[in-house]
Amino acid sequence: MFYRQAAIRHTSYDQTKKLYPIPFDKWLVVAVLLVALLAPFMMSGLYLNSYLLPWVIWSTAALSLNLLMGYAGQIHLGYAAVMAIGAYSSVHAMRLGVPFEFALILGGATAMIIGVGFGFTALRVKGLYLAISTLAVQYLVDWVLTHVPAIGGGTQATLQTPTPALLGFEITTDIGRYYLAFGWCALVTIFMLNVKRTGLGRALIAVREKDYAASVLGVNSYYYKLIAFAVSSFFGGVTGAILAFTFFGAVTPEQYSIDISIQILAMVVVGGLGSVLGSFFGAGFILLAPLFLNNMVTGMAEAYDFGVSRSILSHIPLILYGGLIMLFLLFEPLGLAKIYDNIRKYFLVWPFGFSRR
Amino acid sequence: MKKSLAVLVSILITFSGTALSDEKAPIKYGLTLDYTKSYVFATPSVSQAIEDYRNYLNARGGINGHKLEILNSDHGNEPQRGIEAYERKKREGAIVFEHFSTPVSKAVLPKAMKDKNVMLQTLTGRSDAADGEAFPYAFPIAPTYWAMAANIIQYIENNTKDIKKAKIAFTYLDFPFGQEPIPVLQELQKQLGFELKLFPIALPGTDQSGVWSGIRRFKPDYVVAWSFSALHNIALTEMTRNRIPLEKYISVVWASRLDLKSFGYERAKGVKRVEAVATGTEIPIIQEILKAYDAGKGAGPRENVGTIYYMGGIAEMSILTEGAKLALNEFGAPLTGEKLKKGLEMIRDFDANGLMAPVTITSSDHQGGGKTRISEWDGEKWAPVTDWEAAHEELVWKTIKEHSAKFTKENQ
Repeated sequence: MFYRQAAIRHTSYDQTKKLYPIPFDKWLVVAVLLVALLAPFMMSGLYLNSYLLPWVIWSTAALSLNLLMGYAGQIHLGYAAVMAIGAYSSVHAMRLGVPFEFALILGGATAMIIGVGFGFTALRVKGLYLAISTLAVQYLVDWVLTHVPAIGGGTQATLQTPTPALLGFEITTDIGRYYLAFGWCALVTIFMLNVKRTGLGRALIAVREKDYAASVLGVNSYYYKLIAFAVSSFFGGVTGAILAFTFFGAVTPEQYSIDISIQILAMVVVGGLGSVLGSFFGAGFILLAPLFLNNMVTGMAEAYDFGVSRSILSHIPLILYGGLIMLFLLFEPLGLAKIYDNIRKYFLVWPFGFSRR
Repeated sequence: MKKSLAVLVSILITFSGTALSDEKAPIKYGLTLDYTKSYVFATPSVSQAIEDYRNYLNARGGINGHKLEILNSDHGNEPQRGIEAYERKKREGAIVFEHFSTPVSKAVLPKAMKDKNVMLQTLTGRSDAADGEAFPYAFPIAPTYWAMAANIIQYIENNTKDIKKAKIAFTYLDFPFGQEPIPVLQELQKQLGFELKLFPIALPGTDQSGVWSGIRRFKPDYVVAWSFSALHNIALTEMTRNRIPLEKYISVVWASRLDLKSFGYERAKGVKRVEAVATGTEIPIIQEILKAYDAGKGAGPRENVGTIYYMGGIAEMSILTEGAKLALNEFGAPLTGEKLKKGLEMIRDFDANGLMAPVTITSSDHQGGGKTRISEWDGEKWAPVTDWEAAHEELVWKTIKEHSAKFTKENQ
């Protein structure tokens, strides 16, 4: 009834290759897109600036990492460092007079070059060994940011970002910043949706499943691993810059600490490896659940006196949060996206569920 | 008859009550702290102090009749959560904020300045925020790390025969917190001619054995330590192992009585620290607060009361209360961020009855004078060995201005 498949015929390749063959899916995406576009006019500054904007940016980061982890199967524990490289390079570039658009690309390119440099380790090591060597990126970048004043800005370690300007128009309003982040997110999303349908995407997936099997099939796994690192680092670098320019208004080492790397990793895993929708769910869950849980517990504590100290109270949201992650992964190991997929599949044949058996 | 009179009286009381509360709106204080991650060694004590002080204050009618309302929550040392909490509390009417976390304070500061809300940031956040001209709405209201370092050097100068022959080891956690005082120390080294050697401790600081054997070979007269909480235990253990007398150890402000507990109170005799507030329970305000503990109404464990973290919270609240009082007297209700800023800047030589160094805040100096003193652990308590003083102020202010000028330039 919901996901009607009537009159969908696979009579041509074009039809079969469609992103959304089922009209309901297509209209759902259009509706979400419309809501996202109109959101700045419908919600207050609080929800726009501290919920929707970070959600959009972190989703983009999760998407970019998903290309590497979900599609190409290469684990990365230092992704925040890649974002930091992008953010710092673009801020420094803008200060030297490079226009914003080029500064962003330059930030992405720097992140790409350094990211690929570390990606070379992926040619030699796999799995946990790769995880540790990418962790080194994080520590090296952190060290450079806190020890090289020319890059990190010295002990006060904060560089205020210059005002971004797109095609000569300065972006100074909250709405403008949201659209900037949203625009970048849309680009990455479109790329990610389509990459699966290209030769590159299929090659990456082949490498993920078994790299030497891929080699046997004629897919140069070294080459594609490096491509995955390059593209993902480029996206990560630009996203890091967007995060600094639109959300924080400054760059500091703490914004790109190891905690953020782990969070983005968690977004990808909890959302669903290799799933575009999952990146959005994962980012929403990992980023926003602590905010909601915290406000909920604080609100409850104000309404009913629990008689416990503030610091014990502050740990309750953490316990709930950890519990939720475990429950979700126990319930569906393939992530939040798979939960949505299960629901969708149920409704795909509803009310004739018996037909699936 | 009696009943109707009672009803009448109760109605009157209710109405007068609402009238009163309409007139005297509470002052809302947005307190978002790190209860769960990096600052947990101090946050519970600070929060406990702030809650105790609020209860004490409100039981006595608040600030000129305005109750102090605290909007309290956790940010887990994450900037984005701090920003969310700031925006939320701003909407709920808070005009003064404290985050007690450097990353969060840094992230929120530009927003607070734009909204003209007062940001307290005792011992956290940007140190150059002490420059009131560049950061009109930021109030560190405590000596900067630069001032503390300068004051420690002054103490060493006063206590050595010839400062030119003095050897000072500076051991610090190798991240911005620890690196911050280095330029001031190096400048003083040039001016005074003592020998200075830097001993960075790699994060997380739990392994310091290499550092301390290096310090032993250097044979310093004093060891200045920029580290905190449990890391002092490790340092003191290593000092004992390397036979360096503990008297040589001068810590930054982050060393409390409870931090010495596991090393042993008796063993830690002679350890020194620089402090901006008095500690212990003899101070009048603490005696008052302890009455609440006797009645079972304390906001946390009694053990915390009087430690340096706790006293920091009390000191900050005293200054805030004083500033709010001055602002209300001068500009009247309702209190806004702008009025509170001006009120805080009217504080002159305020020491809250022996609680802290006399604080003077002006529109250009938000540090409050930068006075500290050195105290020494005598086995039971921290006994002050110097008076409140601020040394090398010119150098400290030069450093503050240097950094704040960068910020001003960037923001143009």
